[in-house]
Amino acid sequence: MPPIITRRDFLKGTTAVVLGAHLARAQEPAVAKKARVVLIRHAGVLDDNSAINPAILQGMLDEAVTRLLDESDPVAAFGRLVKPGETVGIKTNVWSFLPTPKELEAAIKRRLMDAGIAEDKIGFDDHTVRTNPLFVNATSLINVRPLRTHYLSGMSGTIKNYIMFAESQPDYHPDSCADLGALFKLPIVQGKTRLNILCALTPQFHGRGPHHFSRRYVWAYKGLIVGQDPVAVDTIGLRLTMAKRREVLGKAQELPPVPKHIQLADTRHGIGTSDINAIELIKLGWGDDILV
Amino acid sequence: MDDFGQSIPKTIGAWEAREADRVFDRATLYDYMDGGAEVYLAFDFRGVWTRRYAGPDGRELTLDIYDMGSPAEAFGIFSCDREDPEAGIGQASEYGFGLLRFWQGRYFVTLTAAEDDEKSQKAVLDIGKAVVGLLGPPGLKPDMVDYLPSGSLLADRTSFFHSNVNLNNRYFLASENILGLDRSTDCVFAEYDAAAEEAGCLLVVRYPDAAKAEAARRSFLAAYLPEAGAEGLARTENKKWVLALRKEAVLVVVFEAPDADWARTLASSVPAFKSPSR
Repeated sequence: MPPIITRRDFLKGTTAVVLGAHLARAQEPAVAKKARVVLIRHAGVLDDNSAINPAILQGMLDEAVTRLLDESDPVAAFGRLVKPGETVGIKTNVWSFLPTPKELEAAIKRRLMDAGIAEDKIGFDDHTVRTNPLFVNATSLINVRPLRTHYLSGMSGTIKNYIMFAESQPDYHPDSCADLGALFKLPIVQGKTRLNILCALTPQFHGRGPHHFSRRYVWAYKGLIVGQDPVAVDTIGLRLTMAKRREVLGKAQELPPVPKHIQLADTRHGIGTSDINAIELIKLGWGDDILV
Repeated sequence: MDDFGQSIPKTIGAWEAREADRVFDRATLYDYMDGGAEVYLAFDFRGVWTRRYAGPDGRELTLDIYDMGSPAEAFGIFSCDREDPEAGIGQASEYGFGLLRFWQGRYFVTLTAAEDDEKSQKAVLDIGKAVVGLLGPPGLKPDMVDYLPSGSLLADRTSFFHSNVNLNNRYFLASENILGLDRSTDCVFAEYDAAAEEAGCLLVVRYPDAAKAEAARRSFLAAYLPEAGAEGLARTENKKWVLALRKEAVLVVVFEAPDADWARTLASSVPAFKSPSR
């Protein structure tokens, strides 16, 4: 059973410790390889109306993936992720209030094609990934979606983005969606995810109403959070969300209730790390109000 | 679920329903909501009727009418998420940033505009006023709400619910369900003016029997307030007091109390709430 996080952890200032630094696991930080996550931001990627500058966004993606993999250029970096002849499914998110931006989809597709993937072997999908022949036959997946809070799971990040691969989505709802990490062990998914991109151009840090969306709780952060470990990526996303909630809503509402699935994806399902001490966070670009 | 398709105008001012109306029940609500379904299913939700209106310059708004099974449940779902000023529609309402919420009888209604401009706001309020008259007579709030200690009660901050998901969205307590809340429990969370612009909080939970209430009290003290003595009272890290006591099948917990006596006084004035509200 994971440690119980209570309101008193906020009062003590130990929430982050409980959430992210559960060091009881037998791990030697000095020798263990850290999960690398790149946070990249650019002040010019959005205009005053939140319209995306595609060229700047392409540059952000390129720089992030290049640095993530210590490659010399983005084509070489994407060449590390996929090989010519592969079929690549790009799992997006079509939630009408805050979908995966088309400009980001286009930027990913461009680099996949540069890396030798045929255009007709690249597919985008969300709700029908289970039955989409391209995804059924995919040899590699790229997981990309916006960062937002969620009534039940606390946070919708790259882990939760795979719920559409489940035969029954409600099966993953009990206990605040505790077992979303198990999605990464489904046969259609297991071992195929090459890259996770949490789009933080305009993240949502709180929700209201029937669809848990209000523009008052979206802000222009102008960032991307990129990594190969979905748990590490979501751990950084959660820290960003908590920081923004602390700033706007106050310390008592720092944690969106209750994102336990991120930690359990690590400790129960073993698909990545939520231990902040085992994550190498590389920050690139614009640094104003970075929050994490 | 009533079919409001014929009774609610398809054209209101410059706004027109161009798509087919839709209805979702407990089994299909997940198809409609990504994220919010559990919040409704934790109540006696029966179904939702929804219509989308298209307006000038590509604006859109969505009307959702939820049949919550009873007025108490409709009040409950409305009461759990209040932030905006009263809009004067139905038994209670609020409007802010393109979102209108109100309850009337056993129905809870939301109108959500994609934009937050004057045209959208007017349309949201006009449609809300057109709908409320079709929802039948007013209904009663849950009995527990009416019997709360009224002294310094902040009335618009009182919430009624059953389950842990609603408590944690209203006032995050713990990552686990340490109070054993479920559809069989009736809960009221209220705020009181405690001095210096700070609110003390009161949680009252009515369990099916006294044994369950006592088990919940012990679980709460063990997980949240282990230093509390027999009285169930302790001072927390923010220098506020927390008190948990049981009255027959009712658990009373005071949070954020400025001092111990304030907590004792508030807790002792809560009745045992013997009769069920549903």
